[in-house]
Amino acid sequence: MKTAILIVTLGLMALSGNPTHGADKPVLTIYTYDAFAADWGPGPKIKAEFEKTCGCVVDMVATDSSIGSLRKIQLEQKNPKADVILGLDTNLADIARETGLFVDHGADTANLVLPVAWSDAQFLPFDYGYFAFVYNSEKLPVPPKSFKELAATPDNFKIIIQDPRSATPGLGLLLWIKQAYGDHAADIWRGLAPKILTVTKGWSEAYNLFLKGEADMVLSYTTSPAYHVIAENDTRYRAAPFDEGHYMQIETGAVVKSSKQQDLARRFMAFMISDEVQALIPETNWMLPVIKLPGDLPPAFKELHDPEKSLLKSGAEVAASRKKWIAEWQAALR
Amino acid sequence: MASRPALTPLTAIARPGLSFYPGLVVSAILLALTGAVFTAIISTGLEQDLALSFDGVGRLLAFTTAQAMASTLISVLLGTLLAWSLNHRRSFPGRRVFLALLSVSMVLPTIVTALGLISVLGHNGWINQIYHGLTGHSGGLSIYGIAGILVAHTWLNAPFLARGLLQRLQGIPVERMKLAASLRLSPWQRFKIVEWPALATALPGLAITVFLLCFTSFSIVLILGGSPNFNTLEVAIFEAVKLEFDLTRAAVLALVQLSVCGVLVMLATSLPQRSSAISPPSFFHMWPDPVAARSLQGGVIVIFVVALVAPLSAVVFDGLQGDVWGMLGEPLFRQALVTSLGVAGLSSALCIGCALAIGVTRRNLASPLRIRQSRRSWLVGWLITFMGTGYLAMPSIVLGVGFFMIFQSLPVATDFLAPLVLILANVMMALPFALVIFTPALQKSARRYDKLAFSLNIRGLARWRLIDWPTLRPEIGFVSALAFCLSLGDLGVIALFGNRDFTTLPWLMYQKLGSYRTQDASVIALILLLLIATVFLFLPAVFEKRRHVKS
Repeated sequence: MKTAILIVTLGLMALSGNPTHGADKPVLTIYTYDAFAADWGPGPKIKAEFEKTCGCVVDMVATDSSIGSLRKIQLEQKNPKADVILGLDTNLADIARETGLFVDHGADTANLVLPVAWSDAQFLPFDYGYFAFVYNSEKLPVPPKSFKELAATPDNFKIIIQDPRSATPGLGLLLWIKQAYGDHAADIWRGLAPKILTVTKGWSEAYNLFLKGEADMVLSYTTSPAYHVIAENDTRYRAAPFDEGHYMQIETGAVVKSSKQQDLARRFMAFMISDEVQALIPETNWMLPVIKLPGDLPPAFKELHDPEKSLLKSGAEVAASRKKWIAEWQAALR
Repeated sequence: MASRPALTPLTAIARPGLSFYPGLVVSAILLALTGAVFTAIISTGLEQDLALSFDGVGRLLAFTTAQAMASTLISVLLGTLLAWSLNHRRSFPGRRVFLALLSVSMVLPTIVTALGLISVLGHNGWINQIYHGLTGHSGGLSIYGIAGILVAHTWLNAPFLARGLLQRLQGIPVERMKLAASLRLSPWQRFKIVEWPALATALPGLAITVFLLCFTSFSIVLILGGSPNFNTLEVAIFEAVKLEFDLTRAAVLALVQLSVCGVLVMLATSLPQRSSAISPPSFFHMWPDPVAARSLQGGVIVIFVVALVAPLSAVVFDGLQGDVWGMLGEPLFRQALVTSLGVAGLSSALCIGCALAIGVTRRNLASPLRIRQSRRSWLVGWLITFMGTGYLAMPSIVLGVGFFMIFQSLPVATDFLAPLVLILANVMMALPFALVIFTPALQKSARRYDKLAFSLNIRGLARWRLIDWPTLRPEIGFVSALAFCLSLGDLGVIALFGNRDFTTLPWLMYQKLGSYRTQDASVIALILLLLIATVFLFLPAVFEKRRHVKS
């Protein structure tokens, strides 16, 4: 038994990686979602850039999702560790505001060029995108141009969507149709029901099924085709422009109230909307920058559909009615 | 064999050192952990308003139960058929590899199995493509819907059942088979009289395990169910934690799930266990079966080989499209590999220890020659059975949040705790499987050797060395592989503890999937599959190696 304990202890010591922190530099702890912090995501580059000037060490802690980061901060209330959270979209930002765990970011938002006006003192946007149905233009030369056209396609036309209870794009689609059609949203959903091949737990499963050729279209982002062009040199994938306009997802960051490094955290927030970071966003997080970049966007991004009409519901409205809308959605798909 | 001669009264035989403490201690620790998890969650949740509504929970429960029962029934039927066929066809090319593959489907990360199945049976799957190639019409086969859920659950569980049942069939003493052959029993009579009693000792445990797996299945049900209305209770729990952060509701739903499963476990374990003799696996040459039976066995095996191998080869095929060497050279991948192997090794070893402690105690309680039946022993028996099985009904997200809350109150860095929690959760997850495999073997070894051992006063380590270890060796080999691979394929509870210095292979795969890196993800899936298959092929062999010399 003693050997077993010894082995376990040694094993644990070997397994628990020891992040090497600078000797007496302050550590700025950032909670974010895994794709943001991944080696290929924007996280490591932002960390390196910020560490050049801040005299600090940046520690990015990844959770499985942005909502996971928020829940982690809520669970850690007695023993707070995070200074900054990155990745809350507008719906989550409102839930986060309710917790009272965040303070004003203090950054100058005059340079923001979002399609909607932004005046939130606590949540600072750092990128945005639009939800859209992505298709393979070789297999589908003429995609539907609206939800009504989509509903009118023959029944062997299939789409893959995500569950609004577990995935942000899924919730985005729900709100998209709700905002475009109001009280008639349920009718649209009933029309779409026979086209829905399947509803997945997350974006990853849905997008993978689509790449396997399982369906004609998948719910994703207008920026998805840019990844295929830039990383894979594959120009087949397009996002279908919809007449109703496209629902937005704006990703924001915030400073945690309990942080002992408020100044450093605020400097980081301002840094997030600087030219350096914003220029990184398109090709690492595959989203759009929130400021006018001094240089051009990568060519593949200029090809993307730029919706004339941007849809977005306020977080408060979503928080108040989400449950009702999800129930309505479920009933319409029954 | 059915009637035994009357023996010395029980009290006259010295039965030293038989206690229920090892299993009780392990179960008590597990019970305390469960209690702590729920207390931590509920006490956090109480700070919120208590507006519990359970709209639709009844419907959810009804669907979940029906779906799990149907999946279990099909899996049991097919699993039994396959085990029977494999037991009679003891030499065909690739049998050993096929046996190893039987366990693979269940331990792969669910997304890998789902994508593998879809590659074969999906809209654009191989079968529809072949149909299209032959006829020019597009194939109408669709895996999405209730049928998809059942197919996937059967694909995941029937092979595992077959593997467990085969172990029992191979334990039938040679003399019985010889007797059956000399009495010229037909294959059906032989199944009924000789083989079924051996299967019946393991079937309730295996079936309840499969039922619980299907009951709590989440990702597969969503992805293949095709509709948000085919849901399990797990999705409601996930929603309560993630979306609503209503921890009280999550805890209550988890308790509902645990209670339903607890009742089922109790029912299944209170079934009368028929006795059956045991010997180490016998590999004598069987008398040939009638042609009809032989064709059936051959046909069953061929169908299962194709059904099992096709989705797995889809995983291999997809993986080979990517840059395998590039992945092997990636530092992040290597780090994840080392972490995964370390966690899996520790989990596997700990799991065997805990399972043996519980299994031995359960044997002490269940065996007529040992601790006498009393109300108290029944209660202890039920407790250790439940604690050894119940974790299948524990939603990993609740476990994760609970552990997180507990460790929040401890003055230790979470960096250090992530591996500990992962190992703990993996041990708990693998424990039910381990027990399902160990229990029948332990009990049968007790029935066969207890009288002899007690009268010769063989006890303690000597008994272990002379009796239990030789009879259990194949099971220990299999369980160590199973626990190792379950841990290897688990994504489980680390989500909340995640940090960049602690990444496992499935976690890395999900990260890649979540950021368009599909090719990389399929390479990792391929490597996971190869690792798991290798472990199942060689680890049990290490334990079984000396069998032929000894017996």
